[in-house]
Formats: sequence, structure tokens, C-alpha cells
Amino acid sequence: MNGQTSHPQPKDGRHDDDAALTEFLASLMDYTPTIPDELVEHYLAKSGFQCPDIRLTRLVAVATQKFIADVATDALQQCKARQSTIIKDKRDKQQKDKRLILTMEDLSKALSEYGVNVKHQEYFADTPSAGLDSPPRDE
Amino acid sequence: MSDGVGKDSLKGLTEGENQQSNRKKKKLGTDEFAQAVARIAVAQVCEGLGFQSFNQSALDVLADVGVRYIRDIGKTACSYANLANRSQCNVFDVIQGLEDFGSVQGFPGASDLNHCLLGSGVVRDVIRYVAQAEEIPFAYSIPAFPVVKERIFSPSYAQAEENPPDEHIPSWLPKFPDPDTYADKDSETEVANKILLVEEPDATVERSSSSMHRRLICNGSEAGVVVDKVDAAKVKLAAESNPFLAQPLQFGEKDVLLPVVPAKLLEETLGYHRSRKVLDNHLSKSMPSTNEAASNNAPCETEDRRNILFNERQNVHFKFGNSKKSVGTGMCSQTEGSEKNSLWFGDDCDGEDEKKRTAEKVLRENMEIH
Repeated sequence: MNGQTSHPQPKDGRHDDDAALTEFLASLMDYTPTIPDELVEHYLAKSGFQCPDIRLTRLVAVATQKFIADVATDALQQCKARQSTIIKDKRDKQQKDKRLILTMEDLSKALSEYGVNVKHQEYFADTPSAGLDSPPRDE
Repeated sequence: MSDGVGKDSLKGLTEGENQQSNRKKKKLGTDEFAQAVARIAVAQVCEGLGFQSFNQSALDVLADVGVRYIRDIGKTACSYANLANRSQCNVFDVIQGLEDFGSVQGFPGASDLNHCLLGSGVVRDVIRYVAQAEEIPFAYSIPAFPVVKERIFSPSYAQAEENPPDEHIPSWLPKFPDPDTYADKDSETEVANKILLVEEPDATVERSSSSMHRRLICNGSEAGVVVDKVDAAKVKLAAESNPFLAQPLQFGEKDVLLPVVPAKLLEETLGYHRSRKVLDNHLSKSMPSTNEAASNNAPCETEDRRNILFNERQNVHFKFGNSKKSVGTGMCSQTEGSEKNSLWFGDDCDGEDEKKRTAEKVLRENMEIH
């Protein structure tokens, strides 16, 4: 791997990909993913992953971040779609509630597309304002 | 992407989250810190996408899913590395793992089974995402965790350049602790040993005595002699002391061993004859003659009396099973002589009172038993 990064290959066909990957991995050295390295290292170490290369950790972090972003984007689309279906005369009343909120309803729909089945109970008492004023969390 | 209001609220959220995580960590420990960090990171990603708020449960679920994603990538990459006879993972293992997870959604070039991992569609997607997405660094700087406390090993004998206290202790062993730390224990054990030693003699004495008893009983006649000796002494004591004290002694004697019972019964028969004798003596007033005999040869008579008693009681032991009366009649002649001796041996001054007392006592015993 060090060889890959330090020796850019002549550009043709497969070596193009090689160069792109090498460049990407090198760029990860400067990129700081939202998911902190320490967290990724901790969980990778828990799963038996052994590699001293920080770029691989960053790659995993970026891939995870992308996965989460994809799921969250789907959930956001679900949320927007749900809000757009509200009848227009009621929309003024609910203008206050028209904030984009990540809810279990949207998230479970989004996750089901990624092969994760999440079901939460119908009577689950979860307030939308939970944590806004940092009250004690009670679920 | 996100308006100021959302950002502020999220900041507040993350801080609150952190406080909560700190509080929880104190309570639960283990993995709470990592989960809290994951929650913050996921919240930041969601914020970057345009979410303004979230349900706590939804955030927890998403953070948990993200953590599982990391762990599964690590597991898959590790298994691919092991498949290639490596212990350390490289980038191709990770890409392979990413492709495995991406196959649910599908990615460009997934249909080509022999495609090169260098130009994998998953990696291209990731590269595109990194290029497009806003770089949001993590809100907090966190230390490397979990904190593993460094263990300080005590140096071995070789490292300390000392010689082990004994030859059989190899030099690579860690140094033994100071003798002061375990000297007290030694002294304690010594004390305990001493206590044991002190206790043991008693036990051995008891054991030897009990075993001797057993041996004597096995021998039969000898046992009878020994127990009779004891019993005779008992009777004498009981006669001399308060008769009310004699009973508990005899009951206490029961637990010595089996021969006590026949001895007691023998005593009863003896006592019966004795009482009769005493009564006869009272009636016939034949004391002067016996007193004379006692004054003549008291010292040598004691030996005779013992021998007679032993022999006689041995005989009684053997014949005891038949019936009391036959034994009693058989004994009569012997007991007469021995009784006289014993009477002479008793206190000269108040021999009559003694006799009365013993007679009363034995009669009482007979009454109680029968």
C-alpha cells in the first residue's frame, strides 16, 4: 500500500483506477471525517481488525459516514414527502411543526431499504422535543 | 445546508448529549462513551444533511446502525485478510467488505464478477461522496479510548541483577516481595502449628484411652477386671460420700462402655446380698467377731479382697446371661467372705452406719431400676 501511494503508476486502463485510489487514500490524510478516528479505531479493534494505517481507518470512517448520510437522506426525503402530503389549509396551523425532524417512522422506512429492519413500538413514548432543553431523557 | 437555528439547537443537543453521556458513563461504564460519541457524530451528519431536530430514539437507532456498520466492515475485512493468510488487513480487504455491504443497494460494476477492486464502484461512490460532502469535523476532540492502564511488572531477578534466594528458583522469575510482607503470615502459621501441637496430645491421649478401652473389651475378661476396678472404687466413693451424689456418677459412667451395665447389675445383685447380710448382721449382732478379725489382719486383707472381687466378678460376667437368682445363689458363698472383708476394711469407728447407708442406697437403687 505504501508502494501504491508513493509510486503513481503510468496511466492506462487499470492503472488509472490505481492512481485514483492512491490519490484518494492520500487525500484522506488531510480529510477529517465527521466520525472521529478514535471511535472507528475502537470499534474496528473490537471486531478484530488490525491495521496501523490511519488511511484505512479513515476509509472506513468515510464509508460509514456515507452510509449514514445515505440513510439520513432517504429519511429526509421521507420526512419531506410526508409533510407535503398534509392538506394545504392545515399547513398554516402546522407551520410551527414543519421543521425537519428525524423520526423513527421515517428512519425505519429508510433503513428497510438498506436491509435493516427497525420496528419500534406504537406506544413508544418519545417526545419530539426530547433533548432540546437538555431535560433528563425518559423513554 | 442547515440554518442557524437548527445549528444552535443541535449544538445544544450535542452538549446535552455529552453531559448525559458523562452521567451515564459514571453509572454504566463499558461502552457508553463510544456510543455517546457515535451519537454525536451521527447527529452532526444529519445536521449537515438538513435535519433540524431528531427523535432521541431515532438518533440512537441510527448511531447503533452506524456502529454496527463499522464493526461489520472490520469483521468482513478481517475475515478476508485471514482468508489470504494475513493477519493484518489492507485496503483490498476493506474494499471487498464494502462491496459486500454495497451489494444490497447495488453499485456500478457489481455485475462483473471479475472486476478489479482498484476500480470498484463502491470506492468510486465513496470518492464522489467525499468530494461533494461538506467536511464537518467532529465537534469535540476526544482522547484515544478505551484507556488501557499500563501494567508495571515487577522486575525479575535477572533484571534486578540479584541472585535468587535459593538455587531452585530460576533467575527469570519476578523478584519475591519483601519478607516483611509475608513474615507475619509465617508467624501466624507457626502459632497455628503450635496450637495444633498443643491440642494433639490431648487428642492422642483420648484416642489411646478409648482405643485401650476397646482393646480391653475385646480381650473380655481383662476388660471386666478394669471396669470392675473402676466400679469398685466408685462404689466405695459413693458409700463414703453423700449417697445422693452417687447416682449421677453411675449414670455418667454409662457412657464409658458396654461392660458398665453388667457391672451395675452385678452391683445390684451384690448390693442385694449385702443388704441382706447387713440386715442379718443387725439381727444377729455378730460385729464383735468381725471387728476382731479386722484388727488382726487389716493390711493384708485388702489385697486378698481385691483378688477375690476380681475373680468373683469375672465369674459373674460369664454366668450373667443365665439368671439372676442362680448367679446370686452361686455367688452367695463367695460374697459372704468378701463382704466381711470389705466391712472390716471400712471405717472402724462408724462401720455400722456405713453399712446401713450402703444398704439403704443399694435398696433404693434396686427400687428405682426395677
